[in-house]
Amino acid sequence: MSCMIQPTLNRHPVFRALAGLLLLAALVAGSTQAFSDIAGSQARKAIAGSGRVAIVYPAIGEPYRSVFEQIISGIESQTGGHTTNFEVGANADFGELKNSLRQQGVEVVIALGSQGVKFAATLDRDIGVVAGGVIAPAGDELHDAPVQSLSPAPALLFGRLKQLMPGARRVFAVYEPRQNGWLIRYAKEAARAQGLELVAYEGQDMRSAAAAYQNILSVADSRRDAIWLLQDSIGAEGGTILPMVLQEAWNHNLVVFSSNFGHVRRGALFSLYPDNVGMGRRLAGMALGFLSSGSYEEQGMIPLREVQAAINLRTAEHLGVRPGKGMEFGMVFPER
Amino acid sequence: MVCGKGSAVAVCLVTGWVGNSSAQQLSEEEQLALVYGDRDTVSIATGSKQLLRRAPAVATVITAEDIKAIGATSLDDVMESVPGVHVTRSYQSNFSIYSIRGIGANQTTNPQVLMLQNGVPTNTMFRGDRGQAIGAPLLENVERIEIIRGPGSALYGADAFSGVINIITKNAETAPGTTTGMRAGSFNSQNVWVQHGSRRGALDVAAYLQAGRTDGAGQIVTADAVTRFNRAFGGSSSYAPGPMSTNDEMIDGQLDLGYEKWRLRGGYKRSYAGLGVGASSALDPVGREKGERINADLSWNDEAFSRNWGVGFTGSYLQYAEDMTYQMFPPGTVLPTGTFTNGMLGMPGRWERQYRFSGNATYTGFADHSVRLGAGHEDLDMYQVRTLKNFLLNASGVPVPTGAVIDYSAIQPHQLPHRRFNDYAYIQDEWNFARDWALTAGLRNDNFSDFGSTTNPRLALVWDTTYDLTSKLLYGEAFRAPSFNEQYGVNPGADGNPNIRPERIKTIEAAFAWQAQPDVKLNLSLFRHIMNDTIRTVGKSGGVGFQLTNTGQLHGSGAEIEVEWNASRKVRVTANLSLQEMIDESTSMDAGYAPRKHAFAKAEWQMAGNWMLAPQVNWVADRRRVPGDTRSPVPDYTTFDMTLRNSLEGGKWELSASVRNLFNATALEPTLYLAAPGNVPSYPTSAIPYDLPVAPRTLWLQAELKL
Repeated sequence: MSCMIQPTLNRHPVFRALAGLLLLAALVAGSTQAFSDIAGSQARKAIAGSGRVAIVYPAIGEPYRSVFEQIISGIESQTGGHTTNFEVGANADFGELKNSLRQQGVEVVIALGSQGVKFAATLDRDIGVVAGGVIAPAGDELHDAPVQSLSPAPALLFGRLKQLMPGARRVFAVYEPRQNGWLIRYAKEAARAQGLELVAYEGQDMRSAAAAYQNILSVADSRRDAIWLLQDSIGAEGGTILPMVLQEAWNHNLVVFSSNFGHVRRGALFSLYPDNVGMGRRLAGMALGFLSSGSYEEQGMIPLREVQAAINLRTAEHLGVRPGKGMEFGMVFPER
Repeated sequence: MVCGKGSAVAVCLVTGWVGNSSAQQLSEEEQLALVYGDRDTVSIATGSKQLLRRAPAVATVITAEDIKAIGATSLDDVMESVPGVHVTRSYQSNFSIYSIRGIGANQTTNPQVLMLQNGVPTNTMFRGDRGQAIGAPLLENVERIEIIRGPGSALYGADAFSGVINIITKNAETAPGTTTGMRAGSFNSQNVWVQHGSRRGALDVAAYLQAGRTDGAGQIVTADAVTRFNRAFGGSSSYAPGPMSTNDEMIDGQLDLGYEKWRLRGGYKRSYAGLGVGASSALDPVGREKGERINADLSWNDEAFSRNWGVGFTGSYLQYAEDMTYQMFPPGTVLPTGTFTNGMLGMPGRWERQYRFSGNATYTGFADHSVRLGAGHEDLDMYQVRTLKNFLLNASGVPVPTGAVIDYSAIQPHQLPHRRFNDYAYIQDEWNFARDWALTAGLRNDNFSDFGSTTNPRLALVWDTTYDLTSKLLYGEAFRAPSFNEQYGVNPGADGNPNIRPERIKTIEAAFAWQAQPDVKLNLSLFRHIMNDTIRTVGKSGGVGFQLTNTGQLHGSGAEIEVEWNASRKVRVTANLSLQEMIDESTSMDAGYAPRKHAFAKAEWQMAGNWMLAPQVNWVADRRRVPGDTRSPVPDYTTFDMTLRNSLEGGKWELSASVRNLFNATALEPTLYLAAPGNVPSYPTSAIPYDLPVAPRTLWLQAELKL
């Protein structure tokens, strides 16, 4: 046989070198990341650091985890990564975590999510707190610390509404007062500033919320009225209230906009939703401001201004709404 | 409870249904659900910024998260989960065939599917498919995969025949940071990869590199083509029963640079693999195929170029090489023309390069219209071909041993270099002619230098029927360009035909998307298609030898049903059922091979902590034999897979394990039945006598680290 058939690449040196290099990179990278428990508690120190800023965030599975990862990446982009990060589970030992913060010389804590806020509420007042990643604290005492809400600022929502529906004059909303009472106060002021009338109904339970919507739908005029769905487990409850509102609004050609990103996929015209990285940068700015001045520039609940917009083009076409050329949307529904 | 979908507000009041009191505190997940929506929309909101179009087509989008959930490691795994798609295997190598709606399941190539990477065609010229020597696309650098079922030539041109697969790769925005990972599993399989995305001012940089190897399952083939020769002509040379050659070594690298409206992408992929069941349906333990692909594209896009205009252009380059070493039949094989003492050997090689330039513009200045215009030029050049072998084909196409392996490029090349040009232009208008009604009409003309001109229309009527129901009626025509092998090839099976024309298909579809319940979405699509100018092997007019030619017509019809059910905040179930039949009008019988029934279902369960469990089941049924094939029916099969994932250290580590074909079910893909054309008993090639086994139980473990 004059021609031997021999595999020449079966162990090609380039392949072997490349595979070895990648394997080495992975192993070296992996060995630098040590698993460490904090005295056996569920609080887990995720990143070693020596900064004066600590981030405390909740232990939560995907896909929600990505929300906090993005917020943290925004924070770290401002702090240069000099933060100490702690993931806290539902049964975390806050005492041990506080000791750890003190040992590391932490002067301000960025508390994310309900679990983070719950921990921050136990801190002594000599450590600053900047909170975020919640709609509103559930009764936890944060003294005068600022809380960056996940609720988009009503002024931004109404501004976007006026862009898409210049003839809008009145906005209806149904809300549960303990969840969104604080936001409605902001909203009334924001509506006035934009020449809108905000007609807000309190919905203490599903029955009263449904009754409120019946009133709204009986009087609403599609040429000048719109419905605002808040982040509200009663006023925008997803299983019953939402499909009814969206269907009736479709039938009556009424604009529905929302503070819940998911509602746009379901058929609301548009939504503003958090720009998580931008929100992280803002939280970092607030924390660094506290470090330099020792005081808070803002206090209490702060509506979110770092937002992106989502639109449903199917609904827009049904309503005859034409988004302007300059209008940017982070997400366009329906997806194909 | 009657306050369901469709009820008026008053109904709920009359029934007096009262939901939960608001007094309870909201959990972490409940709060985030009020901000971002359900699990799906959270993933979308935290994903990349992307504009998704309302496509007048039946389409499926598989995201990176979907890919992780199903434990897919190559495009083959993904495609099997898509409604209307079944992945079968070539009986000549081990090449995976994506049969969409029953089309192409009986072939050794896959030219009916147009494969795009970031919108740029990657189909190769010799066989017309995505390139057999390069392996199935790997998924670690994939952001999402868009799969369009049905004809797409009115927009995409050639080969968008049964469907289009567009692979969108990750970039600095969708995959920021650095991730490294490794995977190891059954059959001595190992993969390692690293991926990076970052931004330097206005410059986005993303890079990815992967290396991997596997021995493959090496499934046992009981008898091969040589077994038949041995029975007919004597000899005992077959390697069967023996294992298929399924080893593979691959390197895959990609670079993605973005600067303002510019984007430059480059890629390199190399594969060195065994030949499965062998290039001539004869087990080949020594042969290898080496594939190499280099691609680059530069694009500029401005969707708001001026008040009513959006403009973009793309230039791309693709170089693809196949360098083969075949032992087509083992030493000692006896044919009527003589004995191959050292085996029947061939070392064909092919090198091609493609240049493509395209521009498009969108105009929205007419009320209720959105007009898209485009034009392009393609230069498709197979510039070098090599034919080393130790045989010649006689007039009947039967191999005659000639002794040593020598260069027959000048005497009897298996293929001559060939260059094809194409100039094309298209127009598409989306017209919202009434409230809730849109009509999309498109037309594309392609003018090929070798086989002529073809024009393909597309019509899509979309009706937003109700708040929760969308209905579509679609019509389209498409073509598959003949491959260079089909035009100019010299093969033992059949010679090419320079006068061959494209295969054609006409399809009508109806599609419905219904949000049946807040947590349940149903999709239904119905289709009927007619294919003509089908390219098949027939006896030459002189009665000696065989040639490819356009002959015959097929028609088919079917339905695809999909269900998406968010059973709870922690459990999501998706399932699809696909039904189809294809009739060969020359026999009025089923065209065979493709499953007439196919179902796939999966669940994703977010368990305590960060554990995620995803079981799935795949059922393939009712694959018919073609007329004359007296083998026993192809057995149906059902496989179960299971994937378990967990993330640690705040998501920095992700660990996963997956078992494919958990119960080790015997799964067979049908091999081609070849009646001896023209009743020539010495016809030299034959399919594998028995059906081919696909992968048995396979386990892998994977770790990924975000640095």
